[in-house]
Amino acid sequence: MTTMTRRAAMARLAATAAAATAFGSMASAQSRRIRHFWWGNPERDRRTFEVIDLFQAKHPDVAVSGETIGWNDYWTKMATQTAGGNMADLVQMDYRYLFEYARRGAIRPLDEFIGGGLDLSDFDKGPLEGGMVDGKLYALNIGSNSQVMTYNTRIFDETGVEFDPINWTYDDMIAAITTVNDKTGGAVKGTDDMSLNITMLEAWIQQNGRGFYDPEGNVTATPEDVATYWQFWADLRDAGLVVDAHKTVALGNSKMNEQGLVTGETAMSFNWSNQLVGVQSLMTDPIGAAMIPHKPDGAPGQFIKPSMFMSLSRDAGDTEAAIAYMNDWVNGPEATAILGLERGIPCSPKVRAALAPNLSPVESLSVSYFNAIQDKVGPLPPPAPKGAGEVSDAFMRTSESVVLGNIAPEDAAVQFIEDSQSIVERAL
Amino acid sequence: MKTNVIDAAVPLGEEDFAAIGAQLRAARHARERRSRLMKHVFLIVFSFIMVYPMLWMLASSFKPDNQIFSNLSLWPSEFRWENYPKGWNGLSVSFSRFYLNSTVVTVLSVIGNLLSCSFAAYAFARLRFSGRDFFFGLMMMTLMIPYHVVLIPQYVLFLKLGWVDTYLPLVVPKFLASDAFFIFLMVQFFRQLPRELDEAAMIDGCSPYKIFWAIILPLSLPAMGTAAIFSLIWTWEDFLAPLIYLNDIKSYTVPLGLRLFVDQESQSAYGQMFAMSVLSLVPVIIFFLAFQKLIIRGIATSGLK
Amino acid sequence: MRKWLNRNAPGYVFLMPWLLGFFLLALGPILTSLYMSFTRYDMVSSPRWVGLANYDYMFTRDRRFWKALDVTMWYVVLSVPTRLIMALGVAMLLDKGLRTISIYRAIFYLPSLLGSSIAIAILWRQLFEGDGVINALLARIGIEGPNWIANPDTSLYTLVVLAMWQFGSPMLIFLAGLRSIPRDLYEAAEIDGASRYRQFFRITLPLLAPVIFFNLVLQTIEAFKTFSSAFIISNGTGAPADSLLFFTVYLFNEAFKFFRMGYASALAWVLLLIIAFFTAITFFTSKYWVHYENERD
Repeated sequence: MTTMTRRAAMARLAATAAAATAFGSMASAQSRRIRHFWWGNPERDRRTFEVIDLFQAKHPDVAVSGETIGWNDYWTKMATQTAGGNMADLVQMDYRYLFEYARRGAIRPLDEFIGGGLDLSDFDKGPLEGGMVDGKLYALNIGSNSQVMTYNTRIFDETGVEFDPINWTYDDMIAAITTVNDKTGGAVKGTDDMSLNITMLEAWIQQNGRGFYDPEGNVTATPEDVATYWQFWADLRDAGLVVDAHKTVALGNSKMNEQGLVTGETAMSFNWSNQLVGVQSLMTDPIGAAMIPHKPDGAPGQFIKPSMFMSLSRDAGDTEAAIAYMNDWVNGPEATAILGLERGIPCSPKVRAALAPNLSPVESLSVSYFNAIQDKVGPLPPPAPKGAGEVSDAFMRTSESVVLGNIAPEDAAVQFIEDSQSIVERAL
Repeated sequence: MKTNVIDAAVPLGEEDFAAIGAQLRAARHARERRSRLMKHVFLIVFSFIMVYPMLWMLASSFKPDNQIFSNLSLWPSEFRWENYPKGWNGLSVSFSRFYLNSTVVTVLSVIGNLLSCSFAAYAFARLRFSGRDFFFGLMMMTLMIPYHVVLIPQYVLFLKLGWVDTYLPLVVPKFLASDAFFIFLMVQFFRQLPRELDEAAMIDGCSPYKIFWAIILPLSLPAMGTAAIFSLIWTWEDFLAPLIYLNDIKSYTVPLGLRLFVDQESQSAYGQMFAMSVLSLVPVIIFFLAFQKLIIRGIATSGLK
Repeated sequence: MRKWLNRNAPGYVFLMPWLLGFFLLALGPILTSLYMSFTRYDMVSSPRWVGLANYDYMFTRDRRFWKALDVTMWYVVLSVPTRLIMALGVAMLLDKGLRTISIYRAIFYLPSLLGSSIAIAILWRQLFEGDGVINALLARIGIEGPNWIANPDTSLYTLVVLAMWQFGSPMLIFLAGLRSIPRDLYEAAEIDGASRYRQFFRITLPLLAPVIFFNLVLQTIEAFKTFSSAFIISNGTGAPADSLLFFTVYLFNEAFKFFRMGYASALAWVLLLIIAFFTAITFFTSKYWVHYENERD
């Protein structure tokens, strides 16, 4: 291309870009238009746009507009669009926001489409039920998830840690991290300190035989549950088996890139299983996946949870096209092959079987982990009440004070449970 | 040095004065050289502190993702040049498109800001009309309200106008002097200019419009240069408004593009994000270097008076 | 009537774009947010009038409101003067004939260009960690520094340092102001034998007063409204232990994380009144120390 033509091309591109976007939408010949909005990353965006192209090739009369942005910005934009009555037809949904959006009427139940445009006949029932609110299916599971203790296999091997990643107990974990500490002379700590991790706390309470909330949304966790949890980690901290208090507080609500496992300061951290691929991409050592340790004779602490959903919004116009797109997304052999495991483990056994031969090592790890924990997990806890997000913030705040030694675990636990109750009451 | 002079012989002849003069001059030169050297040393040390983060970012842009967080050094142990081409084309839409979009929005915004804000500032600073102080107060108030609570009413407004998913909500307000910062900035500079200039021009029969174009604007180059720089940088880096108003990824601006690289909950491309962050600063720095000349040229003009 | 028009017309002609913008784009949203502050509004269903309930809750029961106020006030008090002094000092250093000046000017502006990007968040944590760069330097002179970011007693200072370090904008404005001071005034003072200090207090400060005033007002407003830096460095929550719970961070979370736009609007209006109060004081006192050319007679 010569300079001249390139300049001409640039000018033309500029002109069309300005004209098209400044004055009216990018509407083209297609008469039907649906919008799909998701939070993403480069890999997820690439795959999703590929599926959109695929769908459009098959449905030339429907224009699909893909809209994407990162997790944090997603919810700000979503709230603004919701307030304006301009939501995308299909929105990606997360478990912690599902009930807020469903109960406030921003997303629609899918039940009327099941069996019609939407074929869910061979789907696993458990993961599917994660999208139910008040007996109706408001959100379609597009990938499942579970808690995972991610560990550095090189360090565990070199220090000679031997354990059963599926059936281990808290005592086994203490033994393992003690070994890592001893063998590395304390240069690598056995694990990050999970005092601030409300998901691990919830598992701890589940193991005591109750949920954090009951189905009516009351706080059923006891101060003792919380105090013993904080005390467990405080003992490890005092013994120097986990990272020091300030590091823990600085790590805060654990962005992946700052975890001790990723920076090499520790041998183990907590993640969700769909994050395994991401964690591995930030590390050179191969990672392994273990369950949250069990309590002897305790109830199961973990559960399988939908990692992401797709929902039909209140503002959707052409529901028929939207449902066709949704159906293709979870059933179409080509679409599901493109999407792979990127959003989590698919609900359909057929899809899982089709994907199996072409997985990367870390993807195989997440699938085999997922299969191994099937009969070790409990049922999905009842939906969190409104205000649950705020409770989780309050937990962070209180834990920080506990970890820094500004307040005793017992006192903090009483205060935290009281705070949680009043937060939940205010949010009603 | 002064004590030196006083201690000298009591009666002073003319050649003594000349000698003392030379001595004083030499001392002043030495002092100036020393202080200039000190100044440079100070500025260089200080500069390093100021650029350190940039260097770190530059270094990170060449590192593989798995070394950015475990390795603090300013020198990558292995260079990943491909972070740049990969980052540029790594998203579903190439960065050429984002640059083009950002350029369109930014150029229009800078023009809009400079024109409309200097108009308003001239009215507030140099003209008398009833209601002036009241409107000035209202303008200051628009600076104080946290943006997040007017976000939704504004969105609803632009939605009703049918402007969402276009550049109009980003550009049109700039032509309506929506950024009170620039008005206030220019007001402060305009008020500094000698009143006699307007009065003389008025006597010569100049209208207020003529005075604005022919006298006030040319004399306010430092202020206009500053406003142009800020306006460009802030529009180029603006994130919230494009986030809210642009839906189609093809219409995204550079800052929105940068956000697409990082998802703190799963897989991210940090090296590519840093590479693109470095590149996104290049146009801004070039513009900065070019436009700061306007600020410097200010000396010559104000020296005229 | 005709006389009134003649006297006022030019003013309104020049003000027209702003007036249009204000009435069409600004006034409505501002009044809407005032209305929302008297409602319960979750952004999905329509707002429900609750009278003064939001304000009542804020002043009588909301501990975090007071905490946010406390954090923000401290930040304003600490960051505004340090940043302005820094900016003025460097601007004066750069104003006096150094040939390499434009390079320094660009370099000193660089940190402000980085704004509050993700890069800054990552970097700031690495600098101020327990075993970060800052403490390594302190250790050289025998001081054992705390983990600045994670310690609720020190975390605010890391943001004050960030504010100081990003002094580029007020510096540029000071520089433009210094450039507007006629050189001949200094030359005349030099001939009269006035010392550097005397020149600074008699020429620079009085002539720079309008620009100092501008920077003081604007930086105070900006400091009260600080959002991005606090948001990214505290992971969006105001952590650790609410020590970085800036007013706007609290407001943002109330609105977009907890679906309480009504309450957030009430918070915004309280913040607006606080800022307006301090700005009014600054404007009032400015009569005594800011003099404009055109008011000399």
